Amino acid sequence: MRPVRCPVVAADVDIAITVRGLTKSYGKVEALRGVDFEVRRGQVLALLGPNGAGKTTAVEILEGYRKREGGEVSVFGVDPERRLRSLRARVGIVLQECAVDPYLTVAEAVTQRAGLYPEPRPVDEVIDLVGLEAKARARVKLLSGGQQRRPDLGLALVGNPELIFLDEPTTGFDPSARREAWDVVRGLCAEGRTVVLTTHYMDEAQALADAVTVIANGRVVASGSPDTLGGRDHGMTTVRFVLPAGVSVGELPLPEGVEPQRRGEFVEFRIAEPTEVLHALTGWAVRRGEVLSGLAVVRPSLEDVYLALTGGGQP
Amino acid sequence: MNDLLIVKDQVRYEQKAYWRNPMAAVFTLMFPVVFLVVVGTSAGATRVPGTTLKYDQYIVVAMLTFGLIAACYTNLGMAICIRRESGVLKRMRGTPIAISSYVDGIIGSVLINVAVLTVVVVGIGMSFYHLHFPYHPLATVVTLLVAIVTFCALGMAVTIIVPNADAAPAVINGIYFPIVFISGVFYPLSSGSVLSHIAAYFPISHMITALVSGFEQDPGSGLRPRDLMVMLIWAAAALVFTARRFRWEPKHR
Repeated sequence: MRPVRCPVVAADVDIAITVRGLTKSYGKVEALRGVDFEVRRGQVLALLGPNGAGKTTAVEILEGYRKREGGEVSVFGVDPERRLRSLRARVGIVLQECAVDPYLTVAEAVTQRAGLYPEPRPVDEVIDLVGLEAKARARVKLLSGGQQRRPDLGLALVGNPELIFLDEPTTGFDPSARREAWDVVRGLCAEGRTVVLTTHYMDEAQALADAVTVIANGRVVASGSPDTLGGRDHGMTTVRFVLPAGVSVGELPLPEGVEPQRRGEFVEFRIAEPTEVLHALTGWAVRRGEVLSGLAVVRPSLEDVYLALTGGGQP
Repeated sequence: MNDLLIVKDQVRYEQKAYWRNPMAAVFTLMFPVVFLVVVGTSAGATRVPGTTLKYDQYIVVAMLTFGLIAACYTNLGMAICIRRESGVLKRMRGTPIAISSYVDGIIGSVLINVAVLTVVVVGIGMSFYHLHFPYHPLATVVTLLVAIVTFCALGMAVTIIVPNADAAPAVINGIYFPIVFISGVFYPLSSGSVLSHIAAYFPISHMITALVSGFEQDPGSGLRPRDLMVMLIWAAAALVFTARRFRWEPKHR
C-alpha cells in the first residue's frame, strides 16, 4: 500500500502533521531517504520499524531537535525547525530517557513544569492520570524502576498539549504497566489530542493506533490502518484442526487448489477466503458425527505483516 | 508566561534540589567549614609574606575561594553533565521555556549558594580568626562577581569535554585538583617559586590574590585589575568555547 498523499495546504485545520520527502543523513549513513506521512488531528499514529530504521530521527525532526536535510515538514502549519515557543507550548514530548530531576518530588517536578506553559492542566489531575497519586510527595529518585517513567509522562502532559510524541513509551514495562500506559494513551485520544508514538511492539500498534506507518531503512514501506496494513485484510488465512481419527487428508471436502499439510496430529491449509470451505468442512464433520477439535482460523498477524515488510523474517 | 517569574520559579526548584543532594552541599559548604576549623586553628598567627593577613585569616580567604569554585565550576559542571546525559536538558529544550531563563535559573541558584558560603566562611573568619570585615568591600564584591562569572563559564565549558555521566567526576576533578593544589588554596604560595609561576597561568591563584587584597588594610581601592583580567580572559575563552560546542543532548543514542 502506498503512503497517503492527500493534497494538503498548511492551513488545513484537520491536519496536525505533514511530512513530505523528508531526508536526513548522519555522515555517510542515510537515516531518512524521502519519508512521507501525515497525521490528522485526533489521530494516533504509530511509527513502526526495527532499531535504526529512522523512527526516532523522524520524530526528533518533528519535535524540533534535529534539522532536516531535504523535504517539507509542518506541525500545525509551522516548520518545527524554527523552534517557536508558541509551537512548543502545544506539544508534549516523552523521550526514551527518563528526564526528571531525581531530587524533586513528583508533585514538585510536575508543578515546576506546569509553570512553563500558558494553559497547564491541574497538577493533581495529571498526577492521577499517570497513576502516581500515592507517590506525589515521594522524590523521583525513590520511585521503583517501573514507576520511573510515569513522572516523565506527567511532565509531557501537564502543558495540556494538543500533540504528544511518545518515543517507545512502554519499552521495559511489565504487562500490567503497559496496559495502564495504553489506557492513558486511549484517554488522550478520547480527549481529542493527537498522538505520535514509535514502538517495536505490534500489539501496541494494534491496540492504540488509528494509523500505522512502517519505516525500514529510512523509507516508508507501508502505511495504513492496523487492520489493513500491507494487505493484511486480503492476506491468506490459515485454517487448522486435528484430523479426526480414521480419516485421511484426501477425504476432506476441500476445494481445488487448496493444499492441506499434516503437522503432527493437525492438518492445516491456507486460503484467501475461508467462509465457504469452513461451511463445507463443518457440515461434513457434523454429518459424520465427527468433531474438528482444535479448530482455528487465523488471519496474518500484524507481526507477520511487519516482518514480511521489513524483511525481518518469513511471512 | 512572564519570563522573570519563570526564572524565580527555576531558582526555587534549583535550590530545593541542591540542598537535597548531599554531595553538592557537602563539597561547597561543609568542606570549607571543616577545613577552616581543623587547619585554621593550627595555622598559627604569623603573617603571610606579601600581605597584611595572618595565616589563619589567609586560610579563610582561601576556603572562600575553594567553596566558590566548588559551587560554580564543580557543581555546575556536574549538574549539567548529569542532566545532559539523563535527557533533562533535552526535555527542557522541548518545553516553551526560553533557554536563557533556564540558564538564568541555574546561575541564580549558584549566586545564592555563593552568598551563603561567603556569609558563613567570612562569618567564621570574623568570629574566630580576627578577620576584619573587608576594608575594601567594593573590591571584594567585584572580585567575587568576576570569580562567579569565570568559574561558572569554566563549569559550562568543561562539560563539553566530558563524554558521559560516569566520566564527569573524573574529568571535572581531574582538571581541578592539580590546579587548586598548586594555586595556594591549602597553603600560601611562596612568591617566585616554580609552582607560583605555573599557577599564574590559571585563574585560581589570581582569585585568591584579588580576594586577599579586599581584606587588607591598605590605602587604595583594593582592586587588583591585573588579577581580575587574567580571570576574565579565562572566562571569555570558556564562554566562546561553550557557545560553539555546548551539547544539550547525550552523545550516544
